Amino acid sequence: MAKRIIYPLYQLGNPQIRVFRTNYFLTLVRPGVPQMEDTVQFRIPMEMTRLELKDYLENIYNVPVATIRTRIQYGSNRQRDHKNRRIKKPDYKVAYVQLGAGQTFQFPDLYPERPETIEPGSLEDIQKKFMEDEMQRQKDDPKRSGVPSWFGL
Amino acid sequence: MMAMAALCRRFSGVLRLAGVASSRLTHHVLQKETAKVEAFPLCALLHTSRPLKGLEEFFDDPKNWGEREVKSGDSWTVEQLRGKSSEDLHKLWYVMLKERNMLLTMEQEAKRQRVPMPSPERLEKVEKSMDRMDQVIQEREDALRLLQTGQEKERPGEWRHDFLGRVIWYTFREWPIPWFMNQKHKKKRFYYLKNVEPFNRLRLEKYLRSENRRKNRERNRQRKLLKKFPHLAAKPES
Repeated sequence: MAKRIIYPLYQLGNPQIRVFRTNYFLTLVRPGVPQMEDTVQFRIPMEMTRLELKDYLENIYNVPVATIRTRIQYGSNRQRDHKNRRIKKPDYKVAYVQLGAGQTFQFPDLYPERPETIEPGSLEDIQKKFMEDEMQRQKDDPKRSGVPSWFGL
Repeated sequence: MMAMAALCRRFSGVLRLAGVASSRLTHHVLQKETAKVEAFPLCALLHTSRPLKGLEEFFDDPKNWGEREVKSGDSWTVEQLRGKSSEDLHKLWYVMLKERNMLLTMEQEAKRQRVPMPSPERLEKVEKSMDRMDQVIQEREDALRLLQTGQEKERPGEWRHDFLGRVIWYTFREWPIPWFMNQKHKKKRFYYLKNVEPFNRLRLEKYLRSENRRKNRERNRQRKLLKKFPHLAAKPES
């Protein structure tokens, strides 16, 4: 459950290689295509396999897992820079995890619109008042009804 | 949960009864014990159920959703981490792992909705703390290895020449087959022929010249700066 274990090489009969601190990091993402209601979509590291993901979720997060499907998303290679060289966006692995035990999951709204509350007397409040004042001052004369200032005596 | 609480209550009752019934010496000790135990609520010591938060741990606290900024403490310094036991470090790693997963999720969602993420510096703090913890644990492993085996490096190796006469660090590998049967390994050359020696001298010369040029450049820069800002010159220590 960790990236790059090349040494010591595991051979049959050797003591098992144990990983005490996993360095796999997951990103739970909102599915772009509507999914089944028990399906959770993750972006996982390229080296991670289905079995490892199952272990990870069940042991670290206590989430019952039924099945996992993975695919690799090709990062676009189409964009060009100012020298007409290709710019590659990195590839990533996507995992679709179906939860066990009849659990369902709905991605919550993490950034809801909140009404802005500006406390009276704060710096923002003073700035806002000042800007309003300036705007009022720089407005055109309403008596001229939109005639430009260079016109007239 | 209800059954557990009832069990706890019964258990504490038994303890108190035992304290009353025993002889004077044990009575004294047990009374101390019960006093100590009853300072806590007894049920708080027995944790049977884990916090039932599965996938919610991938998201921030619902209070912070939609906030402009979220206040956070500093990252862990190396000195702080050195003071922790290995067990504590192991637990802390998983706390930070969950935090990092949470922040990655929040960042991705913010990117997707094209809104600024609240306090993105938290991610950097967690990353730094995790790097430092790796460093501390590496230190401990090194110390242990030096005590037990006297090996300086985790992975043994040695300085060798390659076929162009350069000095390289060769890390030993474990081969699935013995080296004398391994055609691929036998093809590698860790020596150089005599006709390479003039090129070695040239390489050394190139290196020395570049070093010299670097030193000169630095000295000139210092001189120019001194000329430009004479009032900022380091005063000679009398």
